Amino acid sequence: MAEDLVLDTAIRDWVLIPLSVVMVLIGILRYFVSKLMRSSPVPDAKTVKEGQVIIRARNLKAGANFIPPKSFRSRRFYYSNEENGLLHVPKGQGTNPQAQMFSDPNMAMDMMKKNLSMIIPQTLTFAWVNFFFSGFVAAKIPFPLTQRFRSMLQNGIDLSTVDVSYVSSRSWYFLNLFGLRGLFSLILGDENAIDDTQRMMQMGGMGFDPSKSLSAEKDGLDIHQHDWALPRFELRAESVLRKLVK
Amino acid sequence: MGSSEKGSKDVMSDIPTFSVENLQNNLKVIQNSRTFLSIIAGVLAGVIGFTGLTGFVFYFVVMLITSVGLMAKAGFSADLYFDSWNRVLFDGFLGGLMSFVLFWTFAYDLVHIF
Repeated sequence: MAEDLVLDTAIRDWVLIPLSVVMVLIGILRYFVSKLMRSSPVPDAKTVKEGQVIIRARNLKAGANFIPPKSFRSRRFYYSNEENGLLHVPKGQGTNPQAQMFSDPNMAMDMMKKNLSMIIPQTLTFAWVNFFFSGFVAAKIPFPLTQRFRSMLQNGIDLSTVDVSYVSSRSWYFLNLFGLRGLFSLILGDENAIDDTQRMMQMGGMGFDPSKSLSAEKDGLDIHQHDWALPRFELRAESVLRKLVK
Repeated sequence: MGSSEKGSKDVMSDIPTFSVENLQNNLKVIQNSRTFLSIIAGVLAGVIGFTGLTGFVFYFVVMLITSVGLMAKAGFSADLYFDSWNRVLFDGFLGGLMSFVLFWTFAYDLVHIF
């Protein structure tokens, strides 16, 4: 069981190297195709306004300690009072994102495009690997693993006597799929990685609800503890100056 | 390694004031240098022919050297550029491992197996 298998050099020249190169090239192709297909969404005035209000409220919260308590309170009132505060959402006016998505075909179209640009190349490559390279050992990982990993690494080979560290070509494809992510983030810039995470978010959240984030921001402002920092800065400046004089 | 931009932080103040964009940029630089070095380390380990535990030890050593290098780049005062030391030491550690294993296997197979 422990004796070494001799692998044909033709496997290296015609399977291992081409497979890896193709994976890299397909990743790059996918990036550019999805970049071409990405349509810039037409901003809706209301959405943009709400987003800007949220950003302003966040800035207020971040810089709260640098303004006097009175100023902070008046600004907070401006944002979160119950009558006409910017962050106050009247009950029953929040739009349902699900309904909004179905009424707006562009949104669904956009999501479908994104998913397709992800799924199609992967399916195609997997089918290609399966068709041409199935059923033999293509590589060997340089560290021992337990039997548990057999199904992961020797996908497509039904021999229980081969050492687990030998990798079938189909599993080499999966290794490439996960391991090349780092390389892509280097050669394609971070846009690639961000795109992926955004896609995940979209899948999970199915669009975001502006009124919900508005009220969340309002709650955050309401419970924010104001602690004016500037009086202590005078003491600090004094100590710094004294140190300089010494 | 890219240049780390200076986060606008008041050194002696007890109130943390960060420029979020600069912080994010610094973290991105760390991430990129770690990924890059893990790929390089993988190829190196494969060509030299490390197997088993030695390879992983090699990865840890390289990551340690990276940490030291990043700290030297930050002038050994990480709180100027990051919100905590852990960022310099551990960010991108596991993400690089996958790339390392892939390139280690690839180079090892090309050089030693066939």
